[in-house]
Amino acid sequence: MKALTALVISMAFAAFVAAAAQQQPAKAWTQPRTPDGQPDLQGIWTNYTSTPFEVPDSGDKPDFYAGDVDGTGRGTGPSSFLTDTSDRKLTKAKSLVVDPPTGRVPIMPWAEEVRNYRLTHIQDDWVNFTPWERCITRGVPGGIFPAGYGSGYQILQGPGYVAIVYEMIHEARMIPVDGRPHLGPSFRLWNGDSRGRWDGNTLVVDITGYNDKGTVATNVATQRVRAIPQSEQLHAVERFTRVDENTIDYEVTIEDPKVFTSPWKVAMPLHREPDYQLFEYACHEGNRAVPNTLSAGRARDRK
Amino acid sequence: MRTSRIVAAVLGAMLAAGAPIAAHHSFAAEFDGSKPVTLRGTITKMEWTNPHAWLHIDVKGADGKVVSWMIEGGAPNALLRRGWNRESVAPGTAIVVQGFRARDGSNRASGGDVTLPDGKKLFIGSTGTGAPGDAGGKK
Repeated sequence: MKALTALVISMAFAAFVAAAAQQQPAKAWTQPRTPDGQPDLQGIWTNYTSTPFEVPDSGDKPDFYAGDVDGTGRGTGPSSFLTDTSDRKLTKAKSLVVDPPTGRVPIMPWAEEVRNYRLTHIQDDWVNFTPWERCITRGVPGGIFPAGYGSGYQILQGPGYVAIVYEMIHEARMIPVDGRPHLGPSFRLWNGDSRGRWDGNTLVVDITGYNDKGTVATNVATQRVRAIPQSEQLHAVERFTRVDENTIDYEVTIEDPKVFTSPWKVAMPLHREPDYQLFEYACHEGNRAVPNTLSAGRARDRK
Repeated sequence: MRTSRIVAAVLGAMLAAGAPIAAHHSFAAEFDGSKPVTLRGTITKMEWTNPHAWLHIDVKGADGKVVSWMIEGGAPNALLRRGWNRESVAPGTAIVVQGFRARDGSNRASGGDVTLPDGKKLFIGSTGTGAPGDAGGKK
C-alpha cells in the first residue's frame, strides 16, 4: 500500500512537472487599436503552411489534379517542405479544411465533372484555365489559401476601411467597415463584394455578388478543389481574429448550394513577418503558359 | 512537448507528400516529362517576369550552329529567395541546364537544375508542377 501511495504520488508529481513544463508564462497582450478605434490588424502577414488543404483520401488523384493531362503519371513534385519558403508551419488540425470534420470539401459530382473536363481539355481552350493561370485573380477567399510562394499579405487600415494587399497576384482588396450594404444582386464580380464589420476584436467580412466565371480555388495545393466552379450563389464569410502580437486566426465559411452539398470551413493562422518583403507580381508580363499550352495541344492534334 | 512536435512534423511531412504547392500552371500541359534535355549554353538574357522567369541561352550544336533556347523558371520572388540574383545570370555566363522539352517541339524547356561556372547548382524551376524529379527549392 505504501509502495502504491508512493507510486501514485510520484506519478502525480511527474504529471505536474510535465504540465508545468508545457505551460508558457502568460504574456499580457492587449489588442492594439488604430487611432480611430478599430482593432489593429495592420502589418505584413504570411500563410506558409505544411498542412494539406484537405485530409488525403485513397481515391485522390494528385497527379491528375496537378494537371497531368495525358496520364503519364510523372509524380506530383516535392512535398510542400521543399519550396522556396524558409519557414514551414503546421496547423494543429490535420487539414486546413476543418468543417466538415472529415476534412473533405462536400463537392457535388457535377462540379467535379466540370473540373475534370477543364483539366483534361486545358490544351484546347483558354476558358479551361483557372483565373489564376489567366492572371485575372486567385479569387476571394481563394487568394488567401496557401500556394507556397508569393505568400505575403499586407493589411492596412484607415477610417471606414480595411485594405489587404495580396502579394500574389498583386491584388488589392478594399473592405468597407462602415456599415454600408452590399451592392445588390445586379452586380456580379469575380471576387464578389466584400463588406466588413467588427464583432468584438474580430473582423467579419461577408462576401456575395460573385459571377459564375471563377473557381473557388486555383492553386495546386488545393488539390481536388482546384478548378471547381463557383456559381452566383457563392457566399463566403471570413473572420480575422488577432490572437497575439504575431498571429491572426483566419477562418472562412464557404457555401454555394449549387456546387457544395453543405457549407465548409477553412481555418489557418496568418503569421506576422515584419521583415518579409512583398514583391511585385505583374502576372501577365511573362505569362506564356497559356499560349504555350495551347500550342502543345495543336502539336498533339497534328500527330 | 518536443516529442509531440516531432510527431506533428513527421505526420505533416507524410500528409504533405501528396500536397504539391506553388506552380502557376501545370507542367504536363506544356512540357513533356519523357523528354529530358541537357543544354550547355551561354546566357543571352534573363527575363525577371511573373508568373515565370524566362532564361534565354544560346546553345552550340554538334554542327557548330548556334540555336537559341528559352528556359522557363519559377517566379522571380521565389528565385530571389532561393539565391538567384542578377549576378548569377549575367549575359555571357556559361551554364548547364537540365530540363524537359516543350510538347510543341519548339526550343523551349522547363528548367530544373542549373550548374553555374563555379560548379554551384541552383534550381531554377517552379515547385510542385508535377515535373519529374522536381526537387524544387531545395536549399
